[in-house]
Amino acid sequence: MSDREILLRREIWFGRVLALIPWLLALLLGAVAVHLILILTLPALAPGSAYRQFARSLPLGEKLVLARAEPSTSRPSFADPFAAIALCRFDLKQGPLRLRASADGDRPLSVSVRLADGTVIYSAADRQTPGGRFNIVIVTQAQADAQDAARERTEQDDSEEANKPSAPPEDELRLISPGKTGFAVFRVLALRESDYETAVARIDAVSCSMEKAQ
Amino acid sequence: MSDLKPLPIVLAAAVALGVAATILSLRGEPGFDAVRLGPWDSWPRLGNSEIDPYARAVSAVEGALPLGGGEGLAFVAQADASGSPLDARCDYQISGAAPPARFWTLTAYDVAGRLRANTAGRYGLTSAALLRSADGAFSITAAREARPGNWLPLGEKSRFILVLRAYQANTSALAGAFEGLTLPTITRAVCS
Repeated sequence: MSDREILLRREIWFGRVLALIPWLLALLLGAVAVHLILILTLPALAPGSAYRQFARSLPLGEKLVLARAEPSTSRPSFADPFAAIALCRFDLKQGPLRLRASADGDRPLSVSVRLADGTVIYSAADRQTPGGRFNIVIVTQAQADAQDAARERTEQDDSEEANKPSAPPEDELRLISPGKTGFAVFRVLALRESDYETAVARIDAVSCSMEKAQ
Repeated sequence: MSDLKPLPIVLAAAVALGVAATILSLRGEPGFDAVRLGPWDSWPRLGNSEIDPYARAVSAVEGALPLGGGEGLAFVAQADASGSPLDARCDYQISGAAPPARFWTLTAYDVAGRLRANTAGRYGLTSAALLRSADGAFSITAAREARPGNWLPLGEKSRFILVLRAYQANTSALAGAFEGLTLPTITRAVCS
């Protein structure tokens, strides 16, 4: 093989490698894009997520008390067998949701509010609230603004006493949700094995109710 | 047009690589911000709005309901104090400092997050029900067979995970000063 032929072959090989580079870059960028899209969409789309498993088909204003965790329980995973759990769904397009619960002083009670993708936007336990009571209303920013505007209007017009919207109770926590759909989780803990049925009775007493939008 | 001949292959390979990378990333830890205290790991951001997208995806795929930050904090152990993976063929002594919380529970799971079937039908222990010595100290034995005192049944499958949940935890102790916090130690005893 002559030097000229060797040179020519090297040029052809080099040209082929150069032509591959854009495709390799496209492959890398494409893989990164697919990965990021999957990671960002999985929380909303994963069929086994807590929201999809328990809350998505739950009627608004109704609560679901989960069965006690056992070895056959796959969802929710890593469930505490001493926690009695109830869930409520919210869809703020349909109106605000009010949550009420109160502790019996002995068994720890906690409430968390989560978006449909699982992000916890609020959580607290009974010892952080007055009297161990929860009175939470979940609203959008627009609904909160409408409530404030309605209250301001009636404060300026005392003559319309009959139509005055009631002032918010002192123990009310208004939670402005960054998302329209999600769910609330109540937990009451059994102090010991024999205490679980009492914890279930406490969780049966929590309530979720739809509120009228202003 | 012949210049675009590799396009379908490149697209298919990109999708395959992206899916594979996602599956691999979901098998890892739930989040980047693990707090490690001896054999115990915790991911405090799982329970608040600062959760990272990977932790959110792992949590959704696992179908978990992690504790909110205001509810408490969960610590997960997959190994004993010496770093050896937990194995139900061995007994383990769990003792030492209780977490600074109003109430805590200790539970054993398989790697998929299910409670471990056992003949006693007991799946965990609570701080309120522990037998303690006069000075308040406690010792728990995690074992397949019944043991005197505080027994945590492990069931038959060998690999298992321990989860310690500190409910209504003292947040200044847990969230702000992890370095000064001590949790129960997990010491391997006899193995069958």
